[in-house]
Amino acid sequence: MNRIHTCTITAALVMAAAASLTSAAIPPRPEQIKYAELVFEPPMSEDYRHEINVNGVSVPVYMAPSHEFPLVSISFSFKGGAYLEPADKVGLASMTGQMMRRGGTESVSPTDMDELFDFYAANAGTFVGSTQAGASLNSLTSNLDQTFALFMDMVRNPGFDQKKIDLYKSEAVEGMKQRNDDANSIASREWDAIMWGRDHFEARVTTETTLNNITRADLIAFHDKLFNPNNLIISVTGDFEPSEMSARLEKALSGWASGQRMPDPPAPTHELEPGVYHVEKDVPQGKVTFGHRGLKRDDPDAIPVAIMNDILGGGGFTSRIMNRVRSDEGLAYGAGSFFASKVWYPGEFGVTYASKSATVPYALRVAMEEINKMRTEPVTEEELMTAKNQAIETFPRTFESKDGMLSVFVGDEWTNRDPSYWTTYRDKVRAVSQDDVLRVARQYLDPANVAILIVGKWEDIYKGNTEIAADPSKVTTMADFFDGHAEELPLRDPLTQKPLPKN
Amino acid sequence: MRHRLLACIAIVAAAVSTARAQQVQPEIFTLDNGMKFLLYPRTEQPNIIAAGWVAKVGSANERPGITGISHFFEHMMFKGTNTIGTSDAARDAQFRSEQDRLRRELLTLQLTEQYKRYKDGEIQDPWDPAQDTEQMRAIRTQLDQSIQAERDVTVKNEFDRVYTSEGASGMNAFTNNDMTFYFINVPSNKLELWAWMESDRLYDSVFREFYAERDVVHEERRMRTESTPTGIFQEQFESMFWMSHPYNWPVIGWPSDLNSYTMEDAQNYFDTYYRPNNIVGVIVGDFDPAQAKSLINTYFGRLERGPEPPKVVTLEHKQQAEMRMNAECDCQPQVEVRYHTVPFGHADEAALTVMSELLNGRTGRLYKNLVEGKEIASSAFAQNNNMKYAGYFAFSAETKGDAAPIDLERAWYEELKKLQTELVSDRELQKVKNQSAADVYRSLQNNFFIMLQLGYYEAQGGWEYINNMPRAIQAVTADDVQRVANAYFSETNRAVATFNRKAGSTEDPDFAAMKAALPAEMAAMAPMIKQQIESQLASATLDELMQAQAETQAQMAQMPAEMKPVMEFALKKIAKRIAELKAAENN
Repeated sequence: MNRIHTCTITAALVMAAAASLTSAAIPPRPEQIKYAELVFEPPMSEDYRHEINVNGVSVPVYMAPSHEFPLVSISFSFKGGAYLEPADKVGLASMTGQMMRRGGTESVSPTDMDELFDFYAANAGTFVGSTQAGASLNSLTSNLDQTFALFMDMVRNPGFDQKKIDLYKSEAVEGMKQRNDDANSIASREWDAIMWGRDHFEARVTTETTLNNITRADLIAFHDKLFNPNNLIISVTGDFEPSEMSARLEKALSGWASGQRMPDPPAPTHELEPGVYHVEKDVPQGKVTFGHRGLKRDDPDAIPVAIMNDILGGGGFTSRIMNRVRSDEGLAYGAGSFFASKVWYPGEFGVTYASKSATVPYALRVAMEEINKMRTEPVTEEELMTAKNQAIETFPRTFESKDGMLSVFVGDEWTNRDPSYWTTYRDKVRAVSQDDVLRVARQYLDPANVAILIVGKWEDIYKGNTEIAADPSKVTTMADFFDGHAEELPLRDPLTQKPLPKN
Repeated sequence: MRHRLLACIAIVAAAVSTARAQQVQPEIFTLDNGMKFLLYPRTEQPNIIAAGWVAKVGSANERPGITGISHFFEHMMFKGTNTIGTSDAARDAQFRSEQDRLRRELLTLQLTEQYKRYKDGEIQDPWDPAQDTEQMRAIRTQLDQSIQAERDVTVKNEFDRVYTSEGASGMNAFTNNDMTFYFINVPSNKLELWAWMESDRLYDSVFREFYAERDVVHEERRMRTESTPTGIFQEQFESMFWMSHPYNWPVIGWPSDLNSYTMEDAQNYFDTYYRPNNIVGVIVGDFDPAQAKSLINTYFGRLERGPEPPKVVTLEHKQQAEMRMNAECDCQPQVEVRYHTVPFGHADEAALTVMSELLNGRTGRLYKNLVEGKEIASSAFAQNNNMKYAGYFAFSAETKGDAAPIDLERAWYEELKKLQTELVSDRELQKVKNQSAADVYRSLQNNFFIMLQLGYYEAQGGWEYINNMPRAIQAVTADDVQRVANAYFSETNRAVATFNRKAGSTEDPDFAAMKAALPAEMAAMAPMIKQQIESQLASATLDELMQAQAETQAQMAQMPAEMKPVMEFALKKIAKRIAELKAAENN
């Protein structure tokens, strides 16, 4: 499909080239340039989807070969992640993912495994994230037989060498020690807690105790549960023939006991508590995040909300928050908003920026003004066109690389996304009107009920720009938000996550 | 197992020979005005073109007083032209010249009155607006009003909006010591848009929002340098390491300079360095070279060739003695040991790269010996960095457990010694070469990344590096590695930065106190002592603890002086544990 379109486009380009050779005038404005038409239809997942049979279970395999380089890339995707680990063993999921690669196999020592992969110049990796797990291999075609055999051994029979487990744990503790060094990492942990509640898997934090609770037997059990063919989707790109690859995979997976498909992640029960929260940290900039809950990925309003957010603060330099906070006022290097949607429960809406302590409140005021304006006045036709055109014109990029395309298909299959999402996407974007944007802004932006998190020097931040503002109308302090009420969140011990006493 | 290991060597050796043949051959197209283009069509990623241009100017071309102007200038390049970014070019120009006049008045007061007050000790920071004089405040208000008024004729971020609404993506730029690089992805039917927009800003650039943008760069500096755990110290170390070469000021500039440049400085800079004969364009992706050349002619052909920009004269002066910096920060204790080496394209670059790769990675020597083996590092790596005019090789590592930066430093010298005295094995060398060969393919799979590499190498000295370096790496011998390990890694050619965690952060203060109070020969035992005491305490009951406390106190008097710190440490730990258990009982 793609190839044919590329040929027509190339022909059109040649004609355009011939035309431009005869008249070399430069149009006065870029809008006056005439472009050849670019016809693009999104690829259909069914054209790339195959199945192999493993003990009576059919495993989906997406394949998109290309022979540009003698490399093959094989990716195994499994459903499940940190939401499946018990509360007293937080860290088990990600440790399982790491240790599969680092701990050897039942018959190959960790050192031999590392040496083999490295000597063959293959990249092999395994991971368990918060909702997805996976294993991947990128290998030269010439030694795929050897690297793939080792890869399969790693995925099916990981050794979880005890010495490597101990090493991993001691390294993890070193990582924890750095938790309070960077204001951004404090902000991101506390924000997750405010948004999802400390008990939800999105916000849970590994401590020295939960780490030490994890045993080798736990890793084995967690691996056996997740990494099974009934919980697997495979994708392959690069230098191979599909029929040969299917046969290779079927052979390599044969005899692998099928287990259960993992359940969906649980929704949070925590309710967001609006208000101002701050954490003390001696840095010259306040790091600010504020927002509230958003919407689900498959919500019918997701596309108009994305367009609205693009205009508000998601579209970089063309968005309002960036324009005012950075370009007009020079208050921050970066400022913007996001709607991070979630598949299984509503996601989050947020605004972030970092500004010198004195201008944190003023920047907050400016961002709030923009949110309020979004809810009270229609966006301009020009803003709407920019946001819509961008979404439509950059659409082909979603499928530009074969790896990227297959990862969309795999993700869609795991989350039961309707395949028509992609074929109708551009029409849905085109249909978004100024009224739609106003409606969803009113429905999904709620500036009166935001949680505001600030990490920085509170005393300097609180008094705002009283001393430096050249224009008195710009004077803003933290007393201007939530009647000046603010809750101080304690810094937490990096190893135990228990509140630290104030200095 | 051993059999399989041996068998694979022959197979991979075969793979390497195909890798060696890999060539990237862009078409070279040079305009009469001297602007050079590298054109590299590629069909694997349809519908998209990665395009960019790189000006061969960076912070190394600056001088004291205007440090950071290259980077600041990069910000200015997105502010538009007389066509893009304004609804009334003539009025806009009036506002700009008015603001420039006010800003110069302010600058004069700043550099005379405020600098004098600062030198006299009257104020702490001559640039702090809170310290403004009456007169300055009045000018600043006028300036603010003018900036507000200019907004009526400013079309905000129009440069970005034009691109965005046509489906361009990933628009950005970066500045480093040697170059300033501007790049974007455009749909494959819109190469003309890129030619229009980029040639317009090179042909007709105006420095709009000059003063508000300075505040943005100050915020960028606060974010990147001042608010990160080690940013301000990295900046100081860099500045110390380069003794004479202009690499010794930060790319983002010193804050005083950032406050000081005027539009005239910016214009001079533009006229000197942003000439077509100092710029290279790169286009990679789904396009037709014939059409591209026609567009390039039409759009970039209008730029006027300038005189050759001045050369960077100052060489890095030979270091005469070891340099050392000891920092305290909210950071994992760490160390960097850095050596002056060679610039980009030097004959020893490949051997130094191989040396760094022997040290890096999961099967590299640093991981094996420092992270695993000795277990003193949580991470460790080597870096060979060859910039346009000079280069360096750095070892850096973060501590683990109770190890100190000095332990990491010593371990590095041991590793170095091995490289200097023992030849690396054939297998170890072959492993690095195999990886280099496979990574060449991996680095050529994405239009945007190919574009960046071609432009980057061309600005450093020549795009052909993309083919030559992989070949040079395959040719490196064990003797070469040993030779460079001896040639560049002397004590007098190194600079060492150690970072310790600031007191009062997460290191156990009781332990730090004990370690400091112990005689030097016993300090190394401190971690072991700590571990023993803690493991005993963890399993003790409240009664046992109380008893231990009493006994320890009783024995205190008879203990030799050098053991006192240990006893005191133990007593503190016992007291804490007792408190914990009591608290637990009360709950």
